[in-house]
Amino acid sequence: MIEKFKEWYINRHTYAKQWKEQTGGKVIGTFCTYVPEEILVAAKMLPARILGSHEPQDVTEPHIFGMFCPFCRDALAQGLKGRFNYLDGVVLAHSCIHFRQTFNSWRIHLPVEFSYYIPMPNTVQTPHARSYHRVEVENFKKAIEEYTGRPITEQDLDRGIEILNRNRRLLRKVYECRKLDNPPLTGEEAMYMAVTSQFIDKEEHSNVLEAVLKELPERKLPRDSGIRLMAVGSENDDAEFFKMVESVGSTVVIDEQCAGSRYFWNESVPNGDRLAAIANRYLDRPPCPVKDYPAHSRFQHVLNLAKDYRAQGAIIMQEKFCDPHEGDNPRLKKFLEENGIPTLSLEFDSTNPLGPFRIRVEAFLETIRGEELF
Amino acid sequence: MATPTKYPTEALKCWPKAKEIRQQYYKDYASAHDRGGIRWSGGAWAFDAVPMGLGDDVHVMTGEPYAASIAFDRKFAQECQDATDARGWARDLCSYMRIYWGSMYLNRFFFGGEFPKPDFYYQTQICCSHAKWDQEASLHEKVPFYCIDVCVGPYETLTEERLNYVVKQLHDSIEGMEKTTGRKYDDEKLIAAVHNECRSTSLWAEICTLNKAIPAPLDEKTMFSLYVLNTLQRSSKQIGDFYEELRDEVKDRVARGIAAVPYERCRIITDTQPPWGFLKIYRYMEQFGVVSVGSLYTFGLEGIFGEQEDGSWGPRKTPQQLGIKIKTRDEALRITADWNLSRPQWQHFYDPAIKTRMMLRIYNEWKLNGVILHLNRGCEGLTVGSSENRLGLIKAGVPVMTYEGNMADEKEFDERRTTSRIESFMETLGLEQIPGAVAAQAAS
Amino acid sequence: MIKAGIDVGAKTIKVVLMEDGKIRAKAKVLSGFDQEESAKEALEQALKEAGLSREAIGSIVTTGNGRKAISYASGDVTEPRAAALGAVFLYPSARTVIDVGAEEARAIKCDPSGKVLDFAVNEKCAAGSGAFTEAMARALEVPLEELGPLSLRSTQTIPMNAQCTVFAESEVISLIHSKTQKADIARAVHDGLSSRVVAMVRRVGLDPELVLIGGVAHNPGFVESFKRTVGIDDVRTAEEPEFVSAIGAALAVGK
Ligand code: SF4
Ligand code: SF4
Repeated sequence: MIEKFKEWYINRHTYAKQWKEQTGGKVIGTFCTYVPEEILVAAKMLPARILGSHEPQDVTEPHIFGMFCPFCRDALAQGLKGRFNYLDGVVLAHSCIHFRQTFNSWRIHLPVEFSYYIPMPNTVQTPHARSYHRVEVENFKKAIEEYTGRPITEQDLDRGIEILNRNRRLLRKVYECRKLDNPPLTGEEAMYMAVTSQFIDKEEHSNVLEAVLKELPERKLPRDSGIRLMAVGSENDDAEFFKMVESVGSTVVIDEQCAGSRYFWNESVPNGDRLAAIANRYLDRPPCPVKDYPAHSRFQHVLNLAKDYRAQGAIIMQEKFCDPHEGDNPRLKKFLEENGIPTLSLEFDSTNPLGPFRIRVEAFLETIRGEELF
Repeated sequence: MATPTKYPTEALKCWPKAKEIRQQYYKDYASAHDRGGIRWSGGAWAFDAVPMGLGDDVHVMTGEPYAASIAFDRKFAQECQDATDARGWARDLCSYMRIYWGSMYLNRFFFGGEFPKPDFYYQTQICCSHAKWDQEASLHEKVPFYCIDVCVGPYETLTEERLNYVVKQLHDSIEGMEKTTGRKYDDEKLIAAVHNECRSTSLWAEICTLNKAIPAPLDEKTMFSLYVLNTLQRSSKQIGDFYEELRDEVKDRVARGIAAVPYERCRIITDTQPPWGFLKIYRYMEQFGVVSVGSLYTFGLEGIFGEQEDGSWGPRKTPQQLGIKIKTRDEALRITADWNLSRPQWQHFYDPAIKTRMMLRIYNEWKLNGVILHLNRGCEGLTVGSSENRLGLIKAGVPVMTYEGNMADEKEFDERRTTSRIESFMETLGLEQIPGAVAAQAAS
Repeated sequence: MIKAGIDVGAKTIKVVLMEDGKIRAKAKVLSGFDQEESAKEALEQALKEAGLSREAIGSIVTTGNGRKAISYASGDVTEPRAAALGAVFLYPSARTVIDVGAEEARAIKCDPSGKVLDFAVNEKCAAGSGAFTEAMARALEVPLEELGPLSLRSTQTIPMNAQCTVFAESEVISLIHSKTQKADIARAVHDGLSSRVVAMVRRVGLDPELVLIGGVAHNPGFVESFKRTVGIDDVRTAEEPEFVSAIGAALAVGK
């Protein structure tokens, strides 16, 4: 069952095209993880997150200058190469300026029926963000209603919320299993699950998660779990990297990344006002550093995860030129180390030279093992 | 080729005064505490009218112009950036921020003495680096940090709720400042400051508009030293007064046909901050008879523009000019929020198409022949979307050149290659060096 | 009248003597420490080949990164202009000229007269110029001239992930350690280079009427992979690609 996720991960575009054919529904490309997908699901649409492919590319040079993060260029390249030509619409919720370029170039050069920018608050810590964002979520809902020509009812919203929440809950449950001494799944496998939840039909995804959850108690990895690692940082859906890390004597047991746990960690808490519940969910989730100030609220969350999952070390993965994370990392590193979590910082390009990284990861694991001895 | 016309030129009379104001500004900031005053630091885009309500002895030092001053001193700029690198910060972060932090870490103030610690940081957030800049600075200095989120989308889509969101945060920030400083906030002072802010920034837009004249009364290299006052403290009366004087002088230059560049025959604009240590590339362009009459950056970073009756671009009408009497704190905050949200240089953060439209407008109204875009590795905030601007301008038939550089990190600027690029661009524009211009520069 | 064109490159200096629209002689020497001295040497070599004396030269125009360093030149032209003039002289239909040299690469869009309309330069990134293949040849321990032919023997594409020279070097080394065929690595190296060159070309727009010039165009491995990357089969490669800019410089007189 668990192989299903990898299959989806590889064949994501075929999946979306088939979904469209079978359901006749609309596929909406989501930019970053702040788009309130509840609304899209309530409108029976398929939200599909725009991600890169980790292949070298030469098509974005005229559109995004080389000083911006490789992820935003890799993602645009997928559009320019026509891989997302099944999209009916695109939506961005305000996040970093790097990725906004992907969205804007997309709007200019790859026109779709529906495009929408949600000016979601950047300072999630101010109390005023709540009422403001509620209105923006409502505006977004109205725009979708106008686009489809169908109202989104309260029942629709409830369904949207429940479908999203169920998926989040199940992913949390799978992650729970990774707390075990011998996690029944690898970090690579967990990555396939988390990443695919961002573009596969949520109910279908949840059904497979449920089935897998039944299998997990019996499952044993054919190897020793080795050193327990955490991955923290910028956008990362690079399964090859996790595979390499786990091939040299470690298991990634937890992540704090936007393609992983940050995406699904918390739920929309129903409070009568459905739109407020949705809006608040995105303000309360573990933040991307671009939204995390004046306090570094994220740091304690990272440490809690490291402790809960008994990570023996953290790999701080940073996309080259990613200002939001670069603006956090030196202090985050210090904070983790002061709290007994050794770290290894790596800078990532969209495509990564695994060889040199392997050497550094091995050395890092060695120092952790060394400490274990004493 | 016919000998190009030579226009009369004159030195700008206001020039020494601008310099004086700048020097006094840093002195006042450094010595504020000796006089029992208050010091705050933050970004040039912070709502600087707001802390003015704390009293007449409130002094500010905005981070970007401070770092830009250091950038002219390549050695100290390097020392600052090295100090920041040494603390593990990535080298590709905003080079102003890296310089500011470095000066703070080294505890060395560029204008002499120790780095003056502010009482609080006050910032707006629109670029990814804004909040991170002062988050780190306030942690290092152990002082409070207030940050106003202005990410409510482009001005053309502003709604009541979006404006309210900004205004509410401004109200909160006043409460915070009162607590931090123990002072009672004076709304009258705020109202006066908002008036001055609107006046200074509208006046600057008016001055830029005067540059539509041929020959241009100002060149961008000169404008760099003038627009900067608004980045220091646009809500100060002294700065508003200065711009009034400058406006009159520039008007007079236009009336008398005084040029900034004697052999003007080709007009361009640039984009983003220039590599400050290498302003001589502007002098080099002058040898070809090229004058940069400004940029969206010099115009719209601190100039507030609006559409005029005839549909052209010019200064936005201030509340005073519209006969609006500000009576309460809330009214003042609403006006300053709305006014700042209309800032031309904030719009591209959401959509490069808006910037391309503004650039095309400048291209037509300022009668340009080409555009030079600085792909500024030091500032992702102003370079964001530049590549799309280039495509948009080319599509509209505008000759465009780009060059890579960094406003404050000389390691990322290659002078020889840039001049050679400019030369190639001049060739495509059909321009050759004017012997008279070359000789005059060599002699000066 | 003899027109001389000198391309004062970072690595080599090329001289071309032209008369009545025909090439009379060519010479190439290493730049060495003293570019002016080396240029003189190249010029003398070319004169000797043509059987001419220095007095026969009517004009000397320089181009290349050291173009201002030659005091006896009668003038100089920018690199894009020289490249465009030279390319259009050799191939009148050329509209996009791609010049990949030892240290720099550029793409030039031009009109039928060789006037530059737009250009893009790959700045300060060794991974987009000849220096990249040199560094990789060293890592592979094969002579530079053999890198191209070697890559043509490759039977499979392996992606080269590293985006910069330093990383690429260590990636090549780990590929060697993992027993990847040298030919395949060589091909990956050229794919990496051409992908960066093509990315740059896209900035001025991809016109099928393109010509490859500059020393790196000698490398059959690069040319092959370049064709694959742009998806254009009949990419013209100048016969002696490194001399095109010197030809353009010679022709710049009177234009
Ligand atoms: S947060 Fe970082 S990695 Fe993610 S899109 Fe923005 S710059 Fe790129
Ligand atoms: S990157 Fe540019 S816009 Fe952003 S903080 Fe730095 S100077 Fe300001």
